[in-house]
Formats: sequence, C-alpha cells, structure tokens
Amino acid sequence: MLQTKVNRSWENAKQDTAQRMEAASRFIGNGKQVKHEDTVALLEAVIRPYDIVNIEGNNQKQADFLAECLNKVDRGKIHDLHMVQSAVPLKAHLDLFENGIAKKLDFAFGGPQAGRVAEFIRDGKLELGAIHTYLELFGRYFLDLTPKVSLICAYKADRKGNLYTGFNTEDTPTIVEATKFRQGIVIAQVNEIVDELPRVDIPADWIDAVIESPRPFFLEPLFTRDPALVTDTQILLGMMCLKGIYGPYGVKRLNHGIGFLSTAIELMLPTYGEELGLKGKICTHMILNPHPTMIPAIESGWVETIHCFGGELGMDEYVASRPDIFFTGPDGTLRSNRAFAQTAGHYALDMFIGGTLQIDKYGNSSTATANRVAGFGGAPNMGCDAKGRRHVTESWLKCGQELPNREAIQGDMPRGRRLVVQGVETFGEGRAPVFVDKLDAWKLAENANLDLPPVMIYGDDLTHIVTEEGIAYLSRCPDLESRMAAIRGVAGYTEIGLQAKPEETKRLREAGIIMTPEDLGIDRSRANRSLLAAKNMQDLVTWSGGLYNPPARFRNW
Amino acid sequence: MTKWTDLQSASFLESNARDRALGLVDEGSFTEFCGPMDRRPSPHLGVLGDAVEYDDGVVTGVGRIGETPVFVISQEGRFIGGAVGEVHGAKIVNTVRLAIEMLDAMVAKNPDTPEAHKPIVVFSFETGGVRLHEANAGLLAHAEFMDQVQKARGKVPVIAVIGSKVGCFGGMGFVAAAMDAIVMSEFGRLGLTGPEVIEQEMGREEFDSSDRGLVFRTTGAKHKYIMGDCNFLVKDSVAAFRAQIADLAVLPIADFEAMRRIGSEAAVDKQLALVALAVELQPKDSLDVWAHAGNEAPAELNDAPYEEFIAKAQRLAV
Amino acid sequence: MALNQLNFSIENASPTVALGEAFHLGVVGSGDLEMIIESKEQGGAVSFQILSPVTGFDDLWKRVADAFVRESGLGNAHIEINDNNATPAVVMLRLRQALAEATAR
Repeated sequence: MLQTKVNRSWENAKQDTAQRMEAASRFIGNGKQVKHEDTVALLEAVIRPYDIVNIEGNNQKQADFLAECLNKVDRGKIHDLHMVQSAVPLKAHLDLFENGIAKKLDFAFGGPQAGRVAEFIRDGKLELGAIHTYLELFGRYFLDLTPKVSLICAYKADRKGNLYTGFNTEDTPTIVEATKFRQGIVIAQVNEIVDELPRVDIPADWIDAVIESPRPFFLEPLFTRDPALVTDTQILLGMMCLKGIYGPYGVKRLNHGIGFLSTAIELMLPTYGEELGLKGKICTHMILNPHPTMIPAIESGWVETIHCFGGELGMDEYVASRPDIFFTGPDGTLRSNRAFAQTAGHYALDMFIGGTLQIDKYGNSSTATANRVAGFGGAPNMGCDAKGRRHVTESWLKCGQELPNREAIQGDMPRGRRLVVQGVETFGEGRAPVFVDKLDAWKLAENANLDLPPVMIYGDDLTHIVTEEGIAYLSRCPDLESRMAAIRGVAGYTEIGLQAKPEETKRLREAGIIMTPEDLGIDRSRANRSLLAAKNMQDLVTWSGGLYNPPARFRNW
Repeated sequence: MTKWTDLQSASFLESNARDRALGLVDEGSFTEFCGPMDRRPSPHLGVLGDAVEYDDGVVTGVGRIGETPVFVISQEGRFIGGAVGEVHGAKIVNTVRLAIEMLDAMVAKNPDTPEAHKPIVVFSFETGGVRLHEANAGLLAHAEFMDQVQKARGKVPVIAVIGSKVGCFGGMGFVAAAMDAIVMSEFGRLGLTGPEVIEQEMGREEFDSSDRGLVFRTTGAKHKYIMGDCNFLVKDSVAAFRAQIADLAVLPIADFEAMRRIGSEAAVDKQLALVALAVELQPKDSLDVWAHAGNEAPAELNDAPYEEFIAKAQRLAV
Repeated sequence: MALNQLNFSIENASPTVALGEAFHLGVVGSGDLEMIIESKEQGGAVSFQILSPVTGFDDLWKRVADAFVRESGLGNAHIEINDNNATPAVVMLRLRQALAEATAR
C-alpha cells in the first residue's frame, strides 16, 4: 500500500493570519476600529515581505488613504510585495515600486500611471506578472493570485464593522471574498462610521480592521460626457451606427463605454432612433455605468434594464428614483458590481461598440502607445464572441449566419456571433492616422519587454468598422484578403486607405460589405447637433426632472 | 445656411455668430458689413503662425425689426475665444458710429422721426476681451468703442446681449456694463476678470475655477439678474432674445436712462450702497446675497428652470 | 512661424457641376475651418488656397481635395480655406456642405 498521505498542519494560513492579527491587536479597538494615525503601524504589523497584496481601486473609487499609508511603511520590514489589483491610476500605486516596497505587479488597467509602468519595467523597478482583463484577474484571485492582505474602501461602516459600499460597490465583494475565504486579512478605509447603515454590503465578520479616513476616498466622474462637446462627425458616425447596425441587427443587449460616439448615439435615441422606428427594438438591456447621457433615452422609454460596473457621481438620486431600470438594494440605492457586469458583458451582449487609437490593416486594434502600459480593463472580454456562449438572441444568430463560406469552415453546424464594432474617425487628434500598417503596440512590447504586443480587440473578433467613409461589414468577409480590402475601403486618406483599389471598393459596396452613408440613405447635411436630445448639462438635468446633480466642474448654470 | 425660421427656435447658446446676427433681425433683412467675402483677416495672427478668419471673429451689419433699423455686432467665441484684435475692433467701433450717423441724418431731415424708426445697436457678446496677439490695437478698440457708446447716449440705444458659451469677460465686461441695457439668458456669463485668472491671482481657496457651479453662481445671468447687473433674463432661444429686443426697439430713448448701470449720480449712489452692503454682509457665496434679497431657498432657486426662476426670484433692492 | 500657405490645382477635364454665386461657410474654431467657394473659369480645374497653422500635411490636403473634385464633378472653381487643424473627415464634411449650399442657390 502506497504511503502518499502527507504529514502536515492544515491550518498554516490560518495560524499565520492569527499571528499577524495578534501583532496588530493593540491598534484595533471596538468594532474593529483603528485610528487613522495608527494605519502605518497596523500595516507594518499585518504585512510581510513577498506577500500578495491588493489595494482596491479601479477607474472610479480608490482606497487612496491606505495606498498612501502603505508607502510610509518601513521598507526594512516590508519589501518585495506582489501587488494584484484592477487598476493603478494613483501616483501612490507606482510610488510603492519606486520606494522599494513592492516588486511585482499583476493588473488590468494603468490609466494615468501607464507611462510610469512602462518606465519602471524598463528600469527593472517593476516586475510585470501580466496584464489582464478585469474578469481574468478576478478569476485569478480565486486561483493562483489570492491576496494575503487586501486594502479596500467603503462609504460607511457601522460600529460592528459592517460595510456599506452602495452606489460604488464595484470590485469590493470580489476582493473581500477571495481574500477572507482563504484566511487572508481585509482592512477597510471608510468615509465615516455611523450607528446604522442604509444596508449591509459586506458583513463585519469578513472584515479585520476599519479606519475612518481623514478625507473621503477619491472618486472620478469618469463616465460623464458633456453633450456640448459632441461634434458633427461623431453625430454622422452615430447615425450610421443606428441605421446600419443597431437597427438591421436588432441590437437589444449591449454595452456602451465612454467614447463620444456612444454619447452621440445615446443622445440620438429619442430623436433619430425614434424617427427610424427603433424604439423597443434596440438598446433595451444595457450593461454600463450610469451615464448621465442615457437619461433622455431612459426617460423616453427606450430602456428596460441597466446593470452597472460602478457608479457615477451625481447620478445617485436619479438611479434611486428609477428602480425598475437599475439594480437597487432594499434601501433604494444602486448596487454596482464589476464582476457580474463583466460576466454579463462577456457572455450575454449582442454587441460591443467602442473606439480606439489605432487599427492595423488586419483589423487588430489597440489603444497602446509606444511608451505606456495601459491595459484594456474589460474591453477584450466584451469585444469578442464568448466561446462558451450557448444561448441565442436574434442579432447574435444573424451575425453568425452572415459569413458567406461558413459551411466550408464550420461544416453544417449553425453558430452565432457577437457584433464587435469599432467606431473611429480615420484621423484622430493632431491628424494622427487611426489606420496604420503596424500598431504601436509592437513598439511597446519591445520597450517594456512584453511577450506579446498588447492588443485590445483582435482582428478576427472584430465584425464592423464605422468611419466617416462608411461601414465595413467584416462579418460578411469570407477571408483575410477580403477583410483587409474592406478595411482599406473605409480607411479614407490614410496610407492604408490609399491602397484601396476603386474597382475593388465598388465591388465590396455592391456586395453589401461596405456601405457608405449614401448607400445607407443618410443625408450628411443632417449630421449636426440639432439631432441631440440634450445639448448641454442642464438639458440632462431637465430631462431627469432635477434628479441628476452634475459634479460642479460639469455645470453650465 | 440655417433657415431664418429654423433659427428662431434654435438655442442661442448653440448658434454661431452669423446665425445669431441673422436671427436677431427680421427675415431676410440683414446686410453684412465687411463680411468674409471682403477678406479682412487679422494682419497680425498670420505672421505669428496662428489661424485667421476672414471676418476676424465678428459679424457686423444692419437689419430691421419691424420699422426699426438694427445695427448688429455678433462675436464668434469659437475663433480665439472671440478676442478683440485690430480688425475686429475697427468693425465693432464703426458699426456704432454708423448707427449714430444714421440717427443724426434722420433727425436732420425730419426732427419728428418716430421713435420706432430710429436705429438701435445690438451687441451679441462672446469674448474674453483683448486679443493678446495684438493687444495694443485691441485695447485701443475698447477705448474707442466706449467713446462711441458715450456719443450714442441719449440718441441711439446700445443693447448688450449675452448668452453664448464664452460669456463676456475682460475689457468687454466693462464695455457691456457701460451700455444702455443688458439682456441675458441663463447660460450667459458676465464679468471682468475671468475665473482662471482670479484663481491664479487669489488662490484656489478664494476661487476654484474648475468649480463651474461656483463660476456660474458668481458670473452667471441668474446672479446678474438678481443683482440688477442685467436688466432682462430671457429663455435660451434666438426668438426669445429677438422678442426682448423688439420690445426695447420701440421705447423712447429717455426710457433707457433708468436701465443704465453707470453715468449718473443715482447710479453712483447705488453702486456705493452695494459696496456698503457687501461690507456689512461679508457674503461667502453669491447665494448669501440672494438670501439677503429675500430669496428663501437660494440653492433651489439656482437650480430651478427658467419659468420657475423668473416667477420666484426676488431682485436685490438697494 | 508664419501661417502655412498651400496653393494647388486639381485638373478636371470634364466638369459636371458648376457654381452659382460665391459662398462662404464655416467657423475657424479649433479642429474646424471656414471656406469660400466661387466659380473661376480655368479650363476645368479647381484651384485651392489653404492657410493653416499646421505644416507637414500638404499631401493629405491634396488627397482630400482630389477625392472631393472626383466625387463631386466640380470644375472651374476656386476654393479658399482658412484651417485650424481640421481632420480630413471635417474637411470633407465642410466641402460637401459648401458645395450643396452653393449649387442650391
């Protein structure tokens, strides 16, 4: 008989945590409260060199006070930390590497610190684990990147240590669950400690310490777009999207991001969309942050349901007043949840529409530039057809059936396909061409020693490109050569566009693979701001019946 | 080109300078002076390598509202913030001069010319004041314009119209204040020093220019209306501004004296009383003054839609 | 440092569209332009005069102008553009708008 049973303790992690908490016990009072002055000492007590540590932060709410405190620990005691976190947008996140406290990073989104990430990798200050999507990283929290210590943030705690994360719940449940149920330590910064919470989002026994931060956590109104800044060209592209894609495919379930193209589309639903007779036929179920520019469409009855990755400053009261549309708790306020929204985004959308800085001749697109390691957050998960998807929707089926030589590739088995759309002007800011021979991502891979060029959406996942020249229906292209011809045909006066052969483009137009605004029956002279249901921030407030309260920097009255 | 009938319902805030000029007067009545076809761009900007515009950022001309000749000046904020340079300045100054000359000629010919037939000047501001690239000429234009406004006084009403994106700031803020009447929409802003400059000089604690709510509460039309700095607050449409101007166009010139902010002993007394009030009140925010004026819930009033605001707002009496 | 001036002509042997009276359109806002478009007998050609603070895009201007002349069939015309860093999408949009207005008159 084989003797394979190991002789070991099965509670090492638990005992390790108990020891650390014992060392921290003198800082922890009633209700797990820790004075903010003791935060650095607390962190020194519970964190050890080489720990896997998570600082909560994504592109919206940030555990900024805890991030700053972690920078103040004695680097003789704490060093070589392995940071795992959604995003590194704060200076403090990268200072950890500069200060020698952290060494390795696994993340999903770089934001404003993307330049420093690249620089630190090059200088050997930062060892990059990998750039992930949000879902991918969340998955690894439960597999091989489980945090030992997580530093999270919430609006409020009660006197037992229960937390209210409310409107901006975002990543918190995912981080806490991964950490706490693997015997890790969870420390929360909160804006205030109160007697009674509106609701409990995270129970107290999953939390080890609560610190009332000297100032409220930083929150960026990242998804607020001022309608006053929408341009005529964005409106033209929006008209093309509605008439050439949303309508014909019957796109009901979708995500919108922060690009001004989706802003234009949102603001044209009650006007141009109404005129096209699309109400009830498109945009009924959405996964997005509570964009203020969605208010006119919601108020005119376009939308049935919205689930949110996160919150958005100033939208609290509006969202709370529309519980038929948004996911709200027993207390009446929104509960966002990035993991669930991203899951829906990966598996259940009819369409993803976004923008990018560059598209190459094969259709690969990336926002990477030569010297910034930014990551793509959730875009790659939403910008592809999920291989594991099995349920059918009208648009998914329709798009899947468009491939002319489908039987030659797949046999006779019917398949569906998500619409993945990039909407761009052929030239971006400073007349930089969007269509390029080779993505800057290649240069970045070289500059930052990455194994692969960071691509946001792969060419073979992309089904449509919309430019001022027309729509390329890549989903209708039988092979790479015809995809490349379709891309050239809408690439305008860029070097790529100039390689288009007029007779070839003509043939593609006849085959319905390229459609110009004229082919779609769109009058370009109508492409102006009079089509916007709201033209400025106050119009949005008016649409909301005074429920939307824009952040001060967006007000125009 | 936008049709005149479509312009009437258009947002004044959204309309460019030429559309505003066309829409503020009767359909088809506008004749432009020194328009883009005359190709009079700034001689200075090109040398400095900056973009030029053939009308130098201002539309000038004459049209009619009913029987009244209306001389129109309309600044384009999208072209270097509507800043006043040499050509721009010459155009605005001479437009007022032409209005005065017309009045003089009319009266010389017929001393009993009806009020409604006498010309008025309407100035649609969208500017931060002097164009720094040609500052001497720009400053001189401010002085010359002030001179024309003084000459027009008691003869030709000079009406300020403010409801465009950039607002009316810098030296042009003085100019507007010196005019006979000011008409604003709630999106209009009027002031001397721009918000960014105040922050730079006084510090962020004193004035945070990124707080647009604060900027509007301090320089915006609702505050100007309560303070009496603007005479009329209208809805944000070309038609609403036009209707207000039409009401003013037929008034006897003497009626404008009471609307003025400067130029009389009474106006000076009023200004001094306001200074005394400021000292006494030590307001931390414009809403403190609104409350003093008798507005019980000033923050709510600030957020109220136009109709509700006009119905409820109590104006400061000094 | 001075404003960049670009002059060129696009030949059009067989114009199909002619202009009425001269027409002005646009505002020189950031990323935008104004243009005057007027008829000029010159053997079918369309001449362009472009003033722009940005240099290094001469070929791009010619490509866009060439495509516009080909697409529209316009001939015997002179087009003056005061540019402030407009993208080709905006240039083409304004050219089309100007032509539509100018031929509608």
